[in-house]
Amino acid sequence: MSGKSIVIDGVGGQGVRVIGSTMASLLTVMGFHVTLLFDYDSSVRGGMSEAFLRYDREPISNFVVECADVVVRLADRGPVHLSTDYVIADINLMKPGETGEEIPFLQLGVEKFGRDLFGNMIALGRLLCVCDVDFTDEHLTEALPKKYIEDNIAAIKYGYGLDQASIKAIVSEQAASSFASRYAEQVLAGTAPDEAIELAAARS
Amino acid sequence: MTKRLVQGNEAVLLGAVKAGATFFAGYPISPSSEILAQASVHAASHPEFRFIQEEDEIASVNAILGGSLAGAKSFTATSGPGFSLMQEAVGYGHKVGIPCVIINVQRVGPGTGMPTMPGQGDLLQTRYGSTGDYTSIVFYPSTVAECYEYTIYAFNAAEESRSPVILLSDAFLGHLNEVADLDAIKVPIIPRTLEPLASGSTRLFSGVATYPDGEPATADGDEFIRQYYEGKACREEVADRYAFFEHGWNKDAETLVIAFGITPRVAQPLSPYFALFRPIRIWPTLDKELAEIAPRYKKIIVIEGSDGQYANVVESVLLRRVERVPLLGGRMSIEAISEGLERIGMLPAGFAPSGSKPPARVG
Repeated sequence: MSGKSIVIDGVGGQGVRVIGSTMASLLTVMGFHVTLLFDYDSSVRGGMSEAFLRYDREPISNFVVECADVVVRLADRGPVHLSTDYVIADINLMKPGETGEEIPFLQLGVEKFGRDLFGNMIALGRLLCVCDVDFTDEHLTEALPKKYIEDNIAAIKYGYGLDQASIKAIVSEQAASSFASRYAEQVLAGTAPDEAIELAAARS
Repeated sequence: MTKRLVQGNEAVLLGAVKAGATFFAGYPISPSSEILAQASVHAASHPEFRFIQEEDEIASVNAILGGSLAGAKSFTATSGPGFSLMQEAVGYGHKVGIPCVIINVQRVGPGTGMPTMPGQGDLLQTRYGSTGDYTSIVFYPSTVAECYEYTIYAFNAAEESRSPVILLSDAFLGHLNEVADLDAIKVPIIPRTLEPLASGSTRLFSGVATYPDGEPATADGDEFIRQYYEGKACREEVADRYAFFEHGWNKDAETLVIAFGITPRVAQPLSPYFALFRPIRIWPTLDKELAEIAPRYKKIIVIEGSDGQYANVVESVLLRRVERVPLLGGRMSIEAISEGLERIGMLPAGFAPSGSKPPARVG
């Protein structure tokens, strides 16, 4: 498994640090070289908060991620020009032309595990899946804080286990209306992501 | 071997503890606050380690001077605006000869500036910030492991030189988490040999020029000059034992890049095209090392997070022109470095930085 460059983009208090720290700890336990840099704006309450995470089997020199393999977007406040191959976003946060997926993490956290905070662990699980990180229960147990560890592991595994069909079903069920309407113009122009086109077709 | 994820600011605190520090006084300021926070946590479970959060940076630095005089290896941590407030006490520490360590986790200045963005603009302040002439010993690590290692060296140099020694860091290095095996870093610890106050011997702690017997020497230039050169010789002799630097990348290249702290790490994609000289002991300047290495290269580029502070120093040491790539406004990125190199016509042919644009803020 080769290394990857990841950016987690959100606002203060949203869970950027939790997702970044937990993934970095897990990768460290798995023997990777890891760099994790938190970048934030101190002057604005609820301001931007980002995590730049890199991991590799070789030592890492440049820890500033300017071209990410994966972006996890919990809010749209981070680097506006960051280029990426794949986006994992909460609902309504993917941008036209991007490749990726939208998942209502916080809603799933409440529905599946009783608290929105577990949405962060679902997002982490999804990130681990997209990055093809082959972890074990022992790795998770060693990396995670002891508090709520069973729920956290369950949430990570839930996110990891999501496939495109289940993501489509979740999105259809919970956010189809706003999802489809937001892309209405692009659907008409034929430039929207496949999921949006399919949802629009299903609604019509 | 215990590899784990460590933050740069945490590594500084751990290095200080390893070096034998038993007193921290400070006032929180981004991006150094984690050092203060971790020091308070450490103090809670280690009664031999004393911690105090002061009302400001002036109180903080004077507290560590007092702590050191009382026998404790002492340190504080701050950033540019706080370091500015500390300058009077820095001069006093040099005049009296008080070993202590000041950590400056740099952000973008002047003024309050950009509190969480990395800068390297306090370089000259660490050398000339206080009044009068004095010999400042300053280190600037580049990795989290080096934060630990050179914090220990800073304490050692402070004990040997009997002066405030400064460890520079920056917002990126301080907030960077990195896998490190700190247990594998072995640095001998220089013990405290200076007798504490009230231990019986007579010592002078006046910032005023004095004779050895304590009488004022405020109008005796010869005595001042004697003491000044005696102190300078001592500190330069100590600094010579800490002449840390790295000469690497493509040593056979025609152009030498001079960069320090986090900058060479960000510039690393350029390593096939350039040689690198990375001073770790920033002050006193590595004159001999620069004079030996620089003549091998046709051109020299200084890449730094200020508008030429170190470039000017290199020019004065080498008596030759150097090119400059200033990284301002917290723009520490290969994209910004590439733009700077292109501006001076020195971007290697075929080099394309990854990423489309440098990070920029919204909202």
